[in-house]
Amino acid sequence: MMDELELLKRDWQKREEQLPRLSYGDIYQMLWKKSSSIVKWILIISLLEFALPHLLYLIPGVSESFETYEKLGIKRVSTLIWIGSYLVTFYFIYQFYKRYREISTLDDAKKLMQKIIRTRRTVKHYVIFSLSMLFLTCIVIMIGIYFNDNLMAAFPAASDAKRNMSPEKFKSLMLMVMGVCSVGMIVLMGAVYFLLYGLLLKKLKRNYKELERLEV
Amino acid sequence: MNKELEHQFVTELESNQNIVHKVCTLYTSNREAHNDLFQEITIQLWKAYPKFRGESKFSTWMYRVALNTAITLYRKSKRSVQTQDYESVIFKIKADEYDATEEEQLQLMYKAIRQLGDIDKALVFLFLENKSYSEISETLGISEVNARVKMNRVKTKLRTILNP
Repeated sequence: MMDELELLKRDWQKREEQLPRLSYGDIYQMLWKKSSSIVKWILIISLLEFALPHLLYLIPGVSESFETYEKLGIKRVSTLIWIGSYLVTFYFIYQFYKRYREISTLDDAKKLMQKIIRTRRTVKHYVIFSLSMLFLTCIVIMIGIYFNDNLMAAFPAASDAKRNMSPEKFKSLMLMVMGVCSVGMIVLMGAVYFLLYGLLLKKLKRNYKELERLEV
Repeated sequence: MNKELEHQFVTELESNQNIVHKVCTLYTSNREAHNDLFQEITIQLWKAYPKFRGESKFSTWMYRVALNTAITLYRKSKRSVQTQDYESVIFKIKADEYDATEEEQLQLMYKAIRQLGDIDKALVFLFLENKSYSEISETLGISEVNARVKMNRVKTKLRTILNP
């Protein structure tokens, strides 16, 4: 038996000549295939981002805000906005998935470069879309407040403020609060997007630059 | 700095690429899977490269990372890929073995090795690479005694497969 294993060992070492041989350039390019893992992260983050707010609804108290929407008379509009944005978000997630599949199976640097550009564009569109949806929702809420005649009933929590205030004053105060909150939220989300996707996009861009240099 | 590191890495990998190819040969069965594994190992090596400070030889370090990557991937795919029953393999090889020429016998042995578990395979691989027990223990992160014991077990296993 030992002889057989020694025989095998000799044969194994002889086989070394038949092994494939990659060039410096081949190996170098492999390093830049990292792009696929970056796109994978974009996909994961977009999925998480999509799923996390739904977990929030499980917390009691958050679901109460739906009642507020109803009292403001904007329930239908906001439901429509939500359905619309769900559909579009699904579309984007599908796009990210497609990019990920494409990028992880590519061998050719030139094609990879094209896909990187496309991915970057898709992510930018996604961020713009998400922020404008947020903006739109805020506007709709503000319009709801503006046209509501019985504002006090819609915000039972603000009972202390109500007593010392005329309805008009309360309305303008609510509008102001809402306006400030909207701007704050959009800025905050913008910052989060900038950090999350911005970093990933920067990495992708770096890969792109490297590939570009490699191609020349 | 980064460019320099990259150049250094690719150069070293290029001259030591046989190691990775051999791991790929042992852990995969077709060309496509071979290339995928090669790429995965390359990426893992590159990720780990900044932490490699020349405490061991570049090639020893490569053996370790390459085998770890192969073993990890092998474990992942094990669930989805249908594995052949160990007993049936033994039986088949026993039946086939009778008047095997040397070349055929070698093929049978490679086949038997392919059917081994991921760790056993790594051991056989390092044995085929003519590594000493101390190198094997360093590469696989086990004690030398453990390496010897495990190796003997694998050899016995192969023996039972090949010598009915």
